[in-house]
Amino acid sequence: MGLLTILKKMKQKEREMRLLMLGLDNAGKTTILKKFNGEDVSTISPTLGFNIKTLEHRGFKLNIWDVGGQKSLRSYWRNYFESTDGLVWVVDSADRLRLGDCRQELSALLLEERLAGATLLVFANKQDLPGALSKEAIREALALDDIKSHHWCIIGCSAVTGDNLLAGVDWLTDDIAARIFTAD
Amino acid sequence: MYFIGIFCSLAAWYLFICSKCKVQPQNSRGQCDNKTVCKSDVHTSACRRHPTNMDAVVDASAENAVHGEDGAAKLQDRLQRRHQARIEDTERRKEAKQSQSVAEEKIGYFSSTFNSERASIAELLSTCSGADRAAATQKLEDATVKTAQLQKFVNDSVCFLTQYELRQAQDALQKLQASLAETREEALPKKKFAFRSRTKAAEKVSKQATDSPPDVGRSPDSGITKTDGAPASQQCGFSYMNNAFLTKTAEEILNQDVLLTHLTNCKVRLFGSPSTLHLKHIDSCEILCGPVSTSVFVDNCRNSILAVACQQLRTHNTTDTQVYLHVTSRAIIEDCKGVSFAPLSWSYPTMQEDFSVSGLDPGRNNWNQVDDFNWLAAGTPSPNWTVIPEEDRKTTWDP
Repeated sequence: MGLLTILKKMKQKEREMRLLMLGLDNAGKTTILKKFNGEDVSTISPTLGFNIKTLEHRGFKLNIWDVGGQKSLRSYWRNYFESTDGLVWVVDSADRLRLGDCRQELSALLLEERLAGATLLVFANKQDLPGALSKEAIREALALDDIKSHHWCIIGCSAVTGDNLLAGVDWLTDDIAARIFTAD
Repeated sequence: MYFIGIFCSLAAWYLFICSKCKVQPQNSRGQCDNKTVCKSDVHTSACRRHPTNMDAVVDASAENAVHGEDGAAKLQDRLQRRHQARIEDTERRKEAKQSQSVAEEKIGYFSSTFNSERASIAELLSTCSGADRAAATQKLEDATVKTAQLQKFVNDSVCFLTQYELRQAQDALQKLQASLAETREEALPKKKFAFRSRTKAAEKVSKQATDSPPDVGRSPDSGITKTDGAPASQQCGFSYMNNAFLTKTAEEILNQDVLLTHLTNCKVRLFGSPSTLHLKHIDSCEILCGPVSTSVFVDNCRNSILAVACQQLRTHNTTDTQVYLHVTSRAIIEDCKGVSFAPLSWSYPTMQEDFSVSGLDPGRNNWNQVDDFNWLAAGTPSPNWTVIPEEDRKTTWDP
C-alpha cells in the first residue's frame, strides 16, 4: 500500500472532484454554473476574474471553478490547471465567427501536461437560439474526434433553459468517479 | 497526517524488534552473560556449528574414563586412527549423497538449462519480425514470460553460482531483455505511433495558428464559409458597405444573430430586438440598435457612435468610440482606448414593445459601470474609458 493508495482512499472518502470550466468569453460559463446551482441568471455580467462554487451532486462534492474567458484572462487559465479532475469546455454554438478561435484554444489546453488526466466535457451551449449549430457541427468544427488523449463527450445544452446541464454533469462525474474512486 | 503517524510508529517498532533480534544471539553465543537467554536451545545451535570438535572432545573424555594408564598411549593412537577413518567415511558418504541429491544445483546443469532457454527465447524473437501484428503480439508475450522465468531461475541459482558465472548470466539476460524491447519496438511500434500522432497534433495547431489570423481577424468572411456549413447569406446583417444608410425592421432581426462587418461611413438603424449583435471592423459609422436580448459584441471599431440596449456589452480593440448605452448587467472593454459612455438617449416608436420582447428591464441601466479587463487596479479608474460630459451628449438623432 503506497502513499498514492492512501491519498486515493482519502479522496474517495470525501468523494470530492475539482472541475474547471473554461471557454471563450460569452460562451455561458457563469450562466451554466449559476443555473446548475439554481441561481438567477438574468443579471450575470462578464466574469472579471473567476467564480468558485462548491456543490453537492449525487453524493459527490463538486468544486467548480469558472474562470473568465476574455482574451486578457486566458493567460491566467493555467493557474487553475493543477489537480483538475474534469475540464468543462463551454462553446457558444451560435458564435460561428469564433469557432476557429475556440478550437485553437481547446487544442492548446489539451496539450497541457497538468490537464493530461482530466476528463473533457464539451457543452455546446445556447442550443435554444435559432441560429445555433448542432452539437454534431460543433464536434466537427472542434475536431473532437481527433482527441485521443482524454476521455471526452459533447453535449448540447442551454444554460438559459437548463436543458441537458444535468446530463452533462452526470456523465462527467460518472467518468471521473470511475477513474478516481474505483473500488480497489 | 494521521496515516503518516501510524506508518512512522510501525516503522519505529519494526526497527526496535530488529535491533533486539540482532543483539540477543550475539550476547548468548559470545559471553553467555545473559543466563535467562542462554538456554539449551542457543547452546545447541551454537555447538552445531562445530560438530567435529565436539565429537573429538567427547571421545577423548570417554576413553580417559574407561581405560587405565597402562597402554593408554597405544590405545589412544588406535582409537584416534579409527575415529579418523570413521570421519573420513562419513565425509565421503555425505559427499556422495550430496552429489546425488542436488544435481540441479550443479553448475553444469545450470549453464545448459540457461543456454537452452536463452536460445529458445532468441529464436522466438527472431521469428517476430516477419510475422503479422497479432502473431507478433502473441510471440512477444511468450518471450516476455519466458524471460521473466529465466530471470527467476537465475535468481534461484544465485546461492551455488560463482561470482563470474552469475555475472555472465546477468549479462546474457540483460542482452536478451534489450533485444526483446527492440523487437517489440520493431514489430509493434506503439510508442512511435503515439509520438507521431502527437507531432501531428502539434503540426495542426501550428497550421491553425498560421491560418487563423485571417480566420479571426482580417477577413471574417472566409472564416464564416469555412467554419459553418450554412452559406454566409443566411447570416443576418450587412458587410462591406461604404457611405450607405442601412436599416432593418423588427421582423427581419427578431431573435437573429445580426452581424455588421467592414462598414465605413455608414448609418445603420436596426429597429427591433435581435438575439445578439456583432459589430466588427467598423469605421466612422453611426449604429443604432433596439434592445438586444443577450450580448452586443464590438470588435475593431473606431471613430464611431453606437447606441444600443442590451444585457451585456463586450467591447474589444476599439478606439475613439462613443457608446450610448442601456445595459442591464455590465459593459466591459478589453484592449480599448478612448471609449466613452453615456446613457441611451435614442428611441423609436416601438421601442417599449421591443424591450418587452427582449426581456430587458427598461428600468435598470448600468451604463456607467464598465469593467476594463486591461485595468485590474481597484480604486483608480481606468484611463481607457470615460463618461461623456452631459453637455456633449447627443440628444437628437436622425431618423
